[in-house]
Amino acid sequence: MTETAVLSLDRVTKSFGGLVAVKDMTFEVQAGEVVGLMGPNGAGKTTLLNLIAGVYRPDSGRVLFQEKDITRCAPHKICHLGIARTYQIPQPFTHLLVRDNLRVAATYGCRKGDASDLDEILDLVDLSKQKGTMAGDLATVSLKRLELARALASNPTLILLDEIAAGSTEAELPRILDITRQVRKMGKTIILVEHVMKVMVEAVDRIIVIDKGEKIAEGTPGEVMKDEKVMAAYFG
Amino acid sequence: MVVRDKMKIPRLTTLISVAALVVLALFPVVGVSLSWLNYLFIFFIYLALANMWNLLAGYSGLICLCPHAFVGLAGYTLAIGTWLGVPFQAGLIAGAIVAALFALLISYPVFRMRGIYFAIGTLILPEVLKVWFSYWRPVGNVYQGMGAGYSVTGVAGVTLVDTYWLGLAIAAASIFLVYMILKTKLGLGLTAIRDNENTAASAGANVFRLKLYSFIIAAFIMGIAGAVYYIFSPRINPTGGFSIRWLLVPLMATVIGGEGLEEGPIIGAAIVTFLTFRLADYGAWSLLIQGIILLVVVTVMPQGIAGLLRQVGAYRFPVKLFQAAEGRIHKS
Repeated sequence: MTETAVLSLDRVTKSFGGLVAVKDMTFEVQAGEVVGLMGPNGAGKTTLLNLIAGVYRPDSGRVLFQEKDITRCAPHKICHLGIARTYQIPQPFTHLLVRDNLRVAATYGCRKGDASDLDEILDLVDLSKQKGTMAGDLATVSLKRLELARALASNPTLILLDEIAAGSTEAELPRILDITRQVRKMGKTIILVEHVMKVMVEAVDRIIVIDKGEKIAEGTPGEVMKDEKVMAAYFG
Repeated sequence: MVVRDKMKIPRLTTLISVAALVVLALFPVVGVSLSWLNYLFIFFIYLALANMWNLLAGYSGLICLCPHAFVGLAGYTLAIGTWLGVPFQAGLIAGAIVAALFALLISYPVFRMRGIYFAIGTLILPEVLKVWFSYWRPVGNVYQGMGAGYSVTGVAGVTLVDTYWLGLAIAAASIFLVYMILKTKLGLGLTAIRDNENTAASAGANVFRLKLYSFIIAAFIMGIAGAVYYIFSPRINPTGGFSIRWLLVPLMATVIGGEGLEEGPIIGAAIVTFLTFRLADYGAWSLLIQGIILLVVVTVMPQGIAGLLRQVGAYRFPVKLFQAAEGRIHKS
């Protein structure tokens, strides 16, 4: 393990009944890096995020965050340590105002009570005008933004983004890319799960391709696209 | 302008709340009839229970179907305490503490269940306690061959006026408590958990601990309210103490009044109290009538009466009046 690794997975395996969802997964994420997780449907990408976020506990293997073993930590503990996540299907606090959605994360997250930059976060994700709206009344695209905003509000070191561009139109993609870049500029390390190729290729430094729970390729977007195993996994 | 309004209006609301409290406290002194004090006392007890049920169901997402466990345990603690020579004032606190400890004890198993499973899990607890207290008789003579009932001794000198004040104090405390909880970090966390437990956890909230806080607070206040009732009506037995009535009253009051709204339980408790006395003559029919009312409310106004009032903007005029009054106070 190198010194700057923020997150490292060491032979992590998780199965549900007879199905092995993630198998012997080993990789590292360096500080400030944007890493993409790619793979066909059911490859185990979201399971992998859930393993990192503490929703699932691995059957074997270890997850280290800033050299601390977080394999057996509860989700709220992991948030306190500095990992925030978004959900693929938005999971807002529907009966709370947009701003209060963020306040929850700011109050209980990784910084304890300092809510001074919530307005900046709302600005970043274009939700300033809706901060007094009930989260349940937001449109899908805004809900995706709210996911990101809530994750940022907990002031994480590492942020796990589960398909924030899914469901967006072509015209909205540049803005999403722009937001991702700005989050990166804030010094956050990002793990990105994405199906939208344009976002994947333009936003990330490195891609890890998984299929049937196993890592099949790793490298820069250019390298990965040429990989035969990747082509086989996607196009058979 | 906005800031000033925000700072001024609470002061007027505080003033009105305090005035209402003082007027209610003076009722026995200014010669309000005993039957009205009786009605109001029952209202206060129902209100305290409903407020705590609203804290659990409306703000914490805990559909708790065991208020009768807390009421019965506190009532029995008070009764048994008086048999051992404990003054009833200490018995009230002891009863509330026993209810809170019971909540702590059951929290681990019942919090492992969510939603409807939590509800069913809590529903069986009072039944278990009912059976237990039918056989267990720690003090006094064996009664009809088993455990069963106790009278609360040493409260003969306590008048209706005394219990009225006790009830008022607890009802007021329950309103203030919910108001305070909602203003703090705890309230924010609880409402987040109510809306989405998984997201709350991933945003850093310790779901188990926050639920436990609200559960214990509610058990404590429900316990003390129940114990005060058994000073007013100083006789407890398993079927009465652990009666499902202690669940239906706060549930109906909260649902009819408006779940998750601060004023809901106040409106609902008033209605349920009125119905309790009004329908007392009809015996078993009263349950049917209350059930029909509940059905109608749930279908016609799912957010309860308070929800409907908010929807039609019934508060707009009083709020405007408030602001006008505030403006005048500010000018002078």
